[in-house]
Amino acid sequence: MSSSSYLLYLVGIMSTATVILLAMVLLSKIQELKRIKLTLESLKKSLDEMDEQAKLIMRTDIELNKTQENLDKKITALYSLQRLARLISTTLQEEEIFRRIDLSHLEDIGFEKALGFLWRDKENKFSLSLAVGYAENETKSIESFLDTHQEFFLDLIKSEKTFSSLSLASSRIPKEDIMRIFKVNSFVIAGLLPKEGSKGFLFVGTERTDTLLTEGDEELITILSNQLGQALENARLFEKTWNAQQDLEKKVEERTHELTLALEEVKKISKRKTDFISSVSHELRTPLTSIKGYASILLAEKLGPLQPEIRERLEKINRHSDELVHMVNDLLDISRIESGKVAMKQEDQNLKKIVQDVLDLLSVQLKEKNIELSVDIPPDAYAVFVDLNQIVRVFINLIGNAIKFTPYQGKISILAHKIERRVQVDITDTGCGIPKEAQELIFEEFYRVDNPVNQQVKGAGLGLALVKHIIEAHGGKIWVKSSPGMGATFSFTLPRTEENYGDKNIGR
Amino acid sequence: MQVGIGLSSARDHLQATKEAVVQARANLRKDKIDFVIVFTTPEFAHPLILKTITNLVGPIPILGCSGLAVISNQGGLKDGLGIILVRLSEEIHFNVAVIKEISVKSALHAGEELGEKLLLGLRGTPRNLSLIFSDGLIPNHAGLLNGLQEKLGLSFPLVGACASDNLFFKKKKTYIYFNQEILSDAACGLIWTGKVNFALGIRHGWKPLGKPRLVTRSEGNIIYEIDHQPAVKIYEEYLARDVANLKKDLKTISILYPLGIPISAEEEYLLRNIISIQEDGSLVFQGNIPEGCSVRMMIGTKESCLQATQQAAEEVKMRLGSRESKFVLVFDSVSRYMLLGRQAEQEIQIIKNNLGKDIPFLGIYTYGEQAPLKAISYLGRTYFHNQTITLVGIGG
Repeated sequence: MSSSSYLLYLVGIMSTATVILLAMVLLSKIQELKRIKLTLESLKKSLDEMDEQAKLIMRTDIELNKTQENLDKKITALYSLQRLARLISTTLQEEEIFRRIDLSHLEDIGFEKALGFLWRDKENKFSLSLAVGYAENETKSIESFLDTHQEFFLDLIKSEKTFSSLSLASSRIPKEDIMRIFKVNSFVIAGLLPKEGSKGFLFVGTERTDTLLTEGDEELITILSNQLGQALENARLFEKTWNAQQDLEKKVEERTHELTLALEEVKKISKRKTDFISSVSHELRTPLTSIKGYASILLAEKLGPLQPEIRERLEKINRHSDELVHMVNDLLDISRIESGKVAMKQEDQNLKKIVQDVLDLLSVQLKEKNIELSVDIPPDAYAVFVDLNQIVRVFINLIGNAIKFTPYQGKISILAHKIERRVQVDITDTGCGIPKEAQELIFEEFYRVDNPVNQQVKGAGLGLALVKHIIEAHGGKIWVKSSPGMGATFSFTLPRTEENYGDKNIGR
Repeated sequence: MQVGIGLSSARDHLQATKEAVVQARANLRKDKIDFVIVFTTPEFAHPLILKTITNLVGPIPILGCSGLAVISNQGGLKDGLGIILVRLSEEIHFNVAVIKEISVKSALHAGEELGEKLLLGLRGTPRNLSLIFSDGLIPNHAGLLNGLQEKLGLSFPLVGACASDNLFFKKKKTYIYFNQEILSDAACGLIWTGKVNFALGIRHGWKPLGKPRLVTRSEGNIIYEIDHQPAVKIYEEYLARDVANLKKDLKTISILYPLGIPISAEEEYLLRNIISIQEDGSLVFQGNIPEGCSVRMMIGTKESCLQATQQAAEEVKMRLGSRESKFVLVFDSVSRYMLLGRQAEQEIQIIKNNLGKDIPFLGIYTYGEQAPLKAISYLGRTYFHNQTITLVGIGG
């Protein structure tokens, strides 16, 4: 065997070994590849599974987000609504209520346009009260649209329901028309129903296309419109009350003015009357004095002896002249006191003494009629602050009257008592009394009650008028209580002397 | 550098502007002001405001934009304006520019033109940072950004805000402010050179869910097919809804479940919100999505969202360090405002608490944010973002 064949043999062996080795390597590689392929497949499978999970996650996520978004929207809207409600309820003016609804509130509720219309009965049309998000020319065209569709909107209000682009399904006006005229993509209309007075409606809308209206929006706007209605009602009531009060004040003012004018007129007339009486009295006094003078000269027989008939007549002239002088003097006094020409010369006086003096003066008449007299003036009522002469006249007149009207053996009582800073004097007789209807009138000049005594006894009806003037000039009051046949009580008040030298010094 | 911040929500525009300027002025030691940044709610987008600012502070550049609400340390201002008066230190220079009628020019060209204008007179100096405000409703923000990057450089740090409006309304219009003009379909910008230090914090908090999908056909901001299926299918599948139902809740779905594009070495995904679903089942997004990239379905919660805010604020504060004068601009996505709902105020509170009382801040809600990723290394490329809170700290 040659060396070459040995080499061939060797090569053969090595080749075989290499082939075997290669086959082994190949086999293991194939196995590894198989394994990798399996892993890859399982990886791909999990990736696909994960992708499916991703899809699930995304679907859940989008739902969650939508819910969250709606919730957010509602919460924001509710907050805003609450704020708005507070705002509009704190004003009582119609314009201000509407003015407080602004864009930021609307946006939070999910709208950016709003209109408010109120129905005006007088003009028979809707008038614009609120416009947010509209230009003037836009509201003009909407107003004219309302004019031509009044019935539709009035019916909407009447139905007391809220309508929206969601719920307004079939109606006389297609909702597309409303959307076009009002320039919105969704809207809500809610009636405004103040219990009385003007009705109207609130319109809110949005140009947004991305968010859809929900029933919640309708509810929200209904709440808002109710709040608005309530605020408007409050404003209306307030205005009504306010106006009524204004009217009343105006009327009171007018009446006061009228009364002031009337009073002025009365004062003028009264002054004219006083002036007239005063001048007439003066004019009368001069001739009266002459008459009286001549009568006296004649009666003194300085011009020769008088025949008894002539003397009798002359004495009558003299007596009547005296009465006339007396009357004229009374009249003059009244007019002077009335016009304030006579000032009361008030001084501290003793009431008990005044009464006693007057009674002394009138003792003859009292005795003539055998009148029972009772005087009760307690010491604390002694001190009065009066014009002595004038108050004496008051007592002479009042006690004189009492004597005049008290029948034979009648009774007169004079009582006095202290009332705070005044003294009240009551003079009571048992005469014929004064009829109710005459009780006010007796204090007026020339008024004489029609009764048997007055028919016999002459008088001018000036006495009580003078008394009243004097009392009033002292800041007091006079009144009478009487019923026919039961006598009469004349009461009047006089000012008391100041406390510090009151009862002790003057009292007896 | 000095800044003064003022705010007002007075109903009368003139009154509000005066109040805000007076307030901002009170915080400034020097009279000279270099430029004004103004943020307003849509109702305040009125020429009178810009005129009043000029009357009060003189003819200096004004930049800014409108937004759903103004963000400040007093919370979210739903109706009002905020003003920042800025006084730069000597060694800092800046330039401003505006580009109008973006839709006519195409976004890419508009971006290039804006970049060109911003660079005028600043060539050769080291440029530092650019701030961009753009109409939030222009369809192709990515194009605008690409155009800008074409001129300013791919890794040049751009920070931008897309103006927003009250997103609940049909008639949409967002505004940017440039000097005396209130503009839509436009963008304006400001570029700094010199010693400006800035710090970024950008986060969203959304996490990927489900398996990665492949964009098999897309063009710009439209995805036609994912895994060779009509793009809308992914949403139909995950949410178990047909197209009609998806369309009904599109706004919510777009915010809650954006698509996420993974970016290498970044912690968070780049988010893309859907704007609309087209008849052929394609999806239109707010930013561009390249064909062949992988996308994930993303999910966020209020908690993750607020946690992201906290991280962004912490990052900015850390990066601003101990610089003496500084302020922070806040660009916060409207989507976050919608997602957080009643907790939106809480987010502002988190910013406030984390920045501390020494760092004033002012911002606006946006329809998109532009910011570089990995900003700290200056190498990061600026991307168009959705759903983020972007905090731009500026110090110097």
